[in-house]
Amino acid sequence: MGSLFSALNTAAGALSAFNKAIDVTQNNVANANTPGWAAQNPVMESVNIQSADGTVGGVTEETINSRNPLADTAVQQAQSLMGKFQQLQTSLAPVQTAMDVTSSSAIPSALNELFSAFSQWSTQPTNGTYQTGVINAAQDVSEAFQEVSAQLNSAAGTVTQNLQSTVTQINQDAAEIQGFNAQIAAGNSNPGLQAQIESTLENLSSLANIQTLPGAGGTITVLLGGQTPLVIGTTVDALSVGTNVAGATNGPPTSTILDSNGNDVTSQVTSGSLGALLSVGNNLIPSLIGGGSQTGGLNTLAKSLADTVNNLLESGSTTATPPFQAGSALFTYNANPPSGIAATLGVTPNFQGSQLAAVQTGPPQVSNGIALQLANLDTNPAGQINGQSFSGYFASLAANVGNAVSSANTSATAQQQAVSQAQSLQQQLSGVSLDQQAVQLVQIQSAYQAASKVVTVIDQITQSLMDMVQ
Amino acid sequence: MAIPVEIPNQYGDVAECMHAARANLDRVRRLLMRPSAESVDAAAAILREVEVQLGCISVLWKADQSKRDPKLKPVLEEIRKDVGVLAECFSQAERLFEGWIRAIQSKRGGYDKQGQAAALILVNQVNLEG
Repeated sequence: MGSLFSALNTAAGALSAFNKAIDVTQNNVANANTPGWAAQNPVMESVNIQSADGTVGGVTEETINSRNPLADTAVQQAQSLMGKFQQLQTSLAPVQTAMDVTSSSAIPSALNELFSAFSQWSTQPTNGTYQTGVINAAQDVSEAFQEVSAQLNSAAGTVTQNLQSTVTQINQDAAEIQGFNAQIAAGNSNPGLQAQIESTLENLSSLANIQTLPGAGGTITVLLGGQTPLVIGTTVDALSVGTNVAGATNGPPTSTILDSNGNDVTSQVTSGSLGALLSVGNNLIPSLIGGGSQTGGLNTLAKSLADTVNNLLESGSTTATPPFQAGSALFTYNANPPSGIAATLGVTPNFQGSQLAAVQTGPPQVSNGIALQLANLDTNPAGQINGQSFSGYFASLAANVGNAVSSANTSATAQQQAVSQAQSLQQQLSGVSLDQQAVQLVQIQSAYQAASKVVTVIDQITQSLMDMVQ
Repeated sequence: MAIPVEIPNQYGDVAECMHAARANLDRVRRLLMRPSAESVDAAAAILREVEVQLGCISVLWKADQSKRDPKLKPVLEEIRKDVGVLAECFSQAERLFEGWIRAIQSKRGGYDKQGQAAALILVNQVNLEG
């Protein structure tokens, strides 16, 4: 009883100390303050019940003697989320590196150099050095796009490899549980075996969101996403990795998870390492470089930049007086498939400075009109994508990645604590009745809620302090 | 008429106060790595202190803008990050408790007609021991 008394008293102390309104029933508080509480057991009563075993109502005391399946489930769920966030951290790291906005070789830097080169060229359109500067800057922009595209493709390849290895690990763990089930079926169940099963299930949980159910003869049934059988008795239904070619209209196909019958069960995977890999490989990376049904923001940016620059140059003239000589396109790319634009962006082969058309034929005719428009492209509405400048659009792509990384970091740290918490409670609550367990959980939950409200207040104060020091 | 606010001596220096708040948040994180009813209570007490520390900084900054040192912004950002982790931690804890309690409810009392885990109520009734 010691732990129960301790939980009740400390939780009640927390309520009093913080004087916070918390959503705990009056009965709980009243009972918690009852003199002599330490010598009493609370009575839990279920209401309006059709119980799991078919009986109606009843207040039987159930004591858990060895493992606590509810606690084990809580640990597995916490492990599953931690596996997801840790995998997100790992898989997002190279994506964030590729989308770096600070490096001198990065796309934003190259874009700035290009617009600076256009600006310089606009001051003396016939200056050969300035013309060469534009071509070199365009080459740097192309290489920056190619480099980022290559890095992201490499990250996508790693994710695909990890998907395969994770599915292999899941199948290995399932096979282990199958072996344990065989021992149980043979009547060899013992606490050591149960501990091994729990350890394997925790590992499996970190790989995917699984659910466990008691099977025939004390065996363990393991389901993926609550629906797809992984292990039933001594049968393993192995998973495999497939590809969704049907959706690959703009780029490489996305990955799918298939059950033992070849059915697509991808949507059932929501957590664990596998959930994170599917999220990064099927959503985040394709949102940048294309894949599945997505063109990819990087390709959209490369195409928009190249088309805008080319259209302006082709609308201008290389000669200041009639007959006007139309300019040439500076950039080239391969738009088939659209997901390959950034990777194939380049400067037109053998492009000469004299092909740069600075003259706006008008009317009115302006000798450096096109060059000026190109120099102002990043601030001119004509050069915007969805209301954003080229640089701004890239920044928004990078910000999406940064937010995903930040969220993964925060969640991974917090989830580490949640796992510790679940494991600690798993130990504390083993060997007590469900009623006692419920009371303890409600009381500890109340203590958490009280502390959580203080965190909310601190967050608000911190935000106001940030506003003051801006 | 504004009510004058008294700042305790130990919270008079903004920089010290902010660093102390940061250190306290770190203590909270470490406490929650070994969760128990006791450690949550201890963590909550420390959080209350952090609330006072940051509240004092807010009062000082409102009263005297010259004390708003931009060099402290990175510390504030770190505090914000730590608070974010704690908020996420408490959010996860809430989900954990809710799921666990629901599991106990359904195991103990089955399901109601809406398919929800049957509610358990703590009645004003006790069993005496000994």
